[in-house]
Amino acid sequence: MAKDPRETRIEDLPGPKSPGELEEMKMPYEEYCRKAFDPGNEWAKPEALKGIRWLSCTMYIFTPHSAANLAELGADVIKIEIPRMGDAMRHTSPFNEAYLYPLHDTRPMTGTGFGFLNANSNERFLSMDYHIPEMVDVFYRLVKMSDGLTELYRPGTLDRWKMSYRYLQEMNPRFIYVWGGGFGYGPKVFGGSYDILGQAHAGLASITGMHEYMGGHPLKHSNWCIDWASGTMITHGILAAIHWRRKTGLGTMIEFSQVQTPTRISGYTFPLYGRFGIVRQRWGNWDTQLCVHGIILCGKSDFPDAQNPQDKFDARYVMVSAFNDPDFKELCDITGLKDFYGRYKAHKDRVDARPQVEIYTALEKWAADKTRTQVVKTLTDAGILAAPVMNDREVYECKHYRERGTLRWLDDPLYGDVLVASGHSVGMMTKTPRRTNWIWRPVGADNVGIYRDLLGIPLSKIEEWYNKAWI
Amino acid sequence: MADVIWCKKVVGGKPCNTVNYLDPYCFWNWEGKTNCAECGTVYYIYMIQGHMYRGPDEKPGEKPDMSPLYADKPLEGYTYYLPGVKGRTRPYECLPRHIYLGRADMVKFSIRGKPVRGWRPQPPSGGLAGQFPYKWDIKKLSPEVWAEYQEKRKKGEVKEW
Amino acid sequence: MANEKREVEIKSRADTLPLTSPEVRPWPVTPPPPPEEVTKVYEKRKAGEFGKWCEDNLRFEKGFGKAEALQGFKVLDIGLWRMGHKFASSLLGEAGAEVICIEPPGGDPLRKLTPFGREEYMLTDKETGEKCGLDFISEMINKYSITLNIETEEGQELFKELARHADVIVDGHLPGYMDSLGIGYRQISRFNPKAVYCWVGVRGSWGSYKDRVSKHGQWELDPFSQCTNAFVHNTGFPQDQLPRGKGGDPTRSGLWINDYVAGEQAAVNIQAALYWRDQFSGEGQFIEMTGAESYFDILDFDIAWYGFNASIKGRTGAWDPNLNQYEWNPCRDGYMMIGGQSDRLWYRIGMCIERDYPQFGRLIHEDPFLKEVGARNALHALIKTYTLTTRWLREINRIEAEQKLLDYEIAAGPILYTDEVAEFPHFKYRPWIYTTESDYGTILYGTNPNAFQVKTPHRLKWMGRALGKDNYLIYQRYSGLGPTKVDEFKEKGVI
Repeated sequence: MAKDPRETRIEDLPGPKSPGELEEMKMPYEEYCRKAFDPGNEWAKPEALKGIRWLSCTMYIFTPHSAANLAELGADVIKIEIPRMGDAMRHTSPFNEAYLYPLHDTRPMTGTGFGFLNANSNERFLSMDYHIPEMVDVFYRLVKMSDGLTELYRPGTLDRWKMSYRYLQEMNPRFIYVWGGGFGYGPKVFGGSYDILGQAHAGLASITGMHEYMGGHPLKHSNWCIDWASGTMITHGILAAIHWRRKTGLGTMIEFSQVQTPTRISGYTFPLYGRFGIVRQRWGNWDTQLCVHGIILCGKSDFPDAQNPQDKFDARYVMVSAFNDPDFKELCDITGLKDFYGRYKAHKDRVDARPQVEIYTALEKWAADKTRTQVVKTLTDAGILAAPVMNDREVYECKHYRERGTLRWLDDPLYGDVLVASGHSVGMMTKTPRRTNWIWRPVGADNVGIYRDLLGIPLSKIEEWYNKAWI
Repeated sequence: MADVIWCKKVVGGKPCNTVNYLDPYCFWNWEGKTNCAECGTVYYIYMIQGHMYRGPDEKPGEKPDMSPLYADKPLEGYTYYLPGVKGRTRPYECLPRHIYLGRADMVKFSIRGKPVRGWRPQPPSGGLAGQFPYKWDIKKLSPEVWAEYQEKRKKGEVKEW
Repeated sequence: MANEKREVEIKSRADTLPLTSPEVRPWPVTPPPPPEEVTKVYEKRKAGEFGKWCEDNLRFEKGFGKAEALQGFKVLDIGLWRMGHKFASSLLGEAGAEVICIEPPGGDPLRKLTPFGREEYMLTDKETGEKCGLDFISEMINKYSITLNIETEEGQELFKELARHADVIVDGHLPGYMDSLGIGYRQISRFNPKAVYCWVGVRGSWGSYKDRVSKHGQWELDPFSQCTNAFVHNTGFPQDQLPRGKGGDPTRSGLWINDYVAGEQAAVNIQAALYWRDQFSGEGQFIEMTGAESYFDILDFDIAWYGFNASIKGRTGAWDPNLNQYEWNPCRDGYMMIGGQSDRLWYRIGMCIERDYPQFGRLIHEDPFLKEVGARNALHALIKTYTLTTRWLREINRIEAEQKLLDYEIAAGPILYTDEVAEFPHFKYRPWIYTTESDYGTILYGTNPNAFQVKTPHRLKWMGRALGKDNYLIYQRYSGLGPTKVDEFKEKGVI
């Protein structure tokens, strides 16, 4: 407050303090968002995790993603790979068709497959065979200069090499150490794991896919969802540990089992079993708790003459949602299912299993002579929520994602023109946005940049190590 | 024998010896007629939980209900029939493109016509100990692709989206 | 207790419900393996000492005696219907932040949802007698519950008072809704510039295909996001494996998985923003998370593949198009997952199978095409490999297959159903499934994977909360409203 109560100061009044602020407050909400997030100009803003350095002794998707999240937020992440072969994920590609070349200079015919994409963005790539005794000291040097590490070796492996948390915390008490794997301590401690094991073993597969009644089997999520989601959970753990370290100066060790992630995110599944002994089953494209809220098959494809089989055969599915009473009534009116509204007026009645089967069957019958577009248009025009099930081409062509900058072309410094859906898509931040600088680099592509420029190792030594395949 | 039909039909004086693979989700519980991809012999099979409950019984002169997706010939160096060979294997519809390669696609330009390093071999472009620069010097390393790119630009084949 | 004989008359499903409660049917049915057994497992691989160190330092049960990483951070969570914002605030709460969940006086409609509309599967609060759906309870973790009608002017003022204290505000309302009430980021940042404000939605609060509502005001919920980011299109069995309309269709996840993914990434971005605030700038910021787009990041290479050579990813069912072996296939009593792609693992799988089924070794290991690791991912290579693998699997059940493959150190595991997961020895031992004594009685839940830490494990302290249970506490503490005043506001419909 001003000293003299008779004096009016603009800071003390509610509302905007300057013409600029006034302008901002008056702006329509959407315009304000667009301006505040300002997609495309991320590099004009600071990075959130400036100054954090992380070591990524990782492979596949799960543990790499925990570090890539940090790198997208501005941390300096050093990915350490086996010399020459690199991360096993580099050798994966859908149907063996999509690779970028080369893996590294000495194997010009071997590429890095698209399976490697998105899991290691913005990182620097170092190669090192750290179970060679001479390299352990080099590894320790990196540890002393870093904030933490993610590793995925079989439990006890790095401990044998004296590179586990109990050794490293002695040389760097601030160090945050993450082991990521399948199972962790306990009877299956040495069990190997992959994303698909997480999907299968922790119950996710048993509740995804069409019901046996509909002719289905337990279904795999298209992507390595448990790898990715677990990696993100680790990042969450790492950042919480960093906050605690700001207060106490102490690091921690996180022992993270990916097979556990699906059990944490499965909603009512386990509480329901625990209390009532009911084993949740698959319910296909419908929802166990809402009706109508499901995906239906239309009779005709939107693009019967398209060349690409995905467009030609599969542009036929629509998501329809009308679970609130007035919406359901509207839906019944439009689709000529009036007697259904009479029978299932209350949501409680129509969400039961048998009514769901009846309602979706009737909806598909109604849609049997229509294309996907016709169905979406009819319902949307009536004010009901409906959306086409889009394929990758349609996502690429969707203006919404383009104008939000969540899908964009990247002029990758080494590989050229690549469409990226990572980084920028993971939320917008007005002040410290995420960004994607490059997709990945060849095995050991930053060897000199790290061994000499960070650790001060002479070039002749680096060359010697390289020739011995230690790095 | 089940899940695969190792066709021993004698054709032209020697056994056909083609292995027809009956893929698990499709044939796990299935009754009908299928064919050998090589000699076309039609077999009746009745499969329950992956077991051949009946068959394979030859059904000369009848038409198959469903062909296998893939077949190969172990005794002839594993020559094979890919999915979708007319009259032999059934087409696989759910493909990402109208063509199927099953091997690395050599790509020089992205779908909007800009260069992307998707072909091999690539000329060496790194330095000491595998260090790579933060630049793809395409003009120097792959001048022919750069020239092709200039052509595309002139023809207006390079788009922004 | 299990041996006790009881007189029970069952006339309808309702009569069976009391028979399934945790008091009658406790979890776990069989005890987890004793620590001595597990010690033997460590020692078998000469990791006895390391194993003991892990048990001493990481054990779940010890977590409750350790520090909380986010102690002191205050989070407001406001929103309806969706899981994204709820999961984000749960994660922050499990890491130690204080989370206040704000609902309208009528409660979040999610409280009323229950599988197939069955009220008997809702839980009853012991004190209030209120019924609540399990999905809501499952993400009402470590959260205080208060009610507030932000559509009234007094409600808005109260919200601002709460927001003054907040480090984080997680908003799960419709696009621009909070802003239109004068309590969005634009307005809050004027008086609390340190607040990190995060909106979580489906496709966006702005843009040409932003989140919509129906004519009658119904919201878009997951799986709309799954449908509009190509996930559904790419998931499912192909019509080449199962007929269309009978399982061979694009299929959604069994979970509202995009919500969960947006939620966890929201927690990450929020924490990064807090770090930047505390370490460098002192400023909060505005974050927008969407289910559809957060999922782009983790949808493998799918969209980038289109940009590469116009491939549109299709469904491949339970087979992965990028790795071989990496799939599940039917076996005698269910489905068996097998994984191992590198040459080392690939040949080990082969050795394991050919022991029972010699022809597998011959047809797979002799074939020149299958010798190169990348080539094995070709579609026709998958068909061949998995046909022969299933030929082996049809003879054996899950547990046999798992044992055989584990003998060869292959990552393999059966598809487990919920009851099997809850009784799986390793899961019980850790435990990954655990019980908590809530206001609604004993609840079985999945523990947080970040709960196994040396210093600051994340943890669940309570689950579920009756609507407005903490009104008096929170309004007293943060707004100085005594109980009389709170009651007055209640009567007016503000609280």
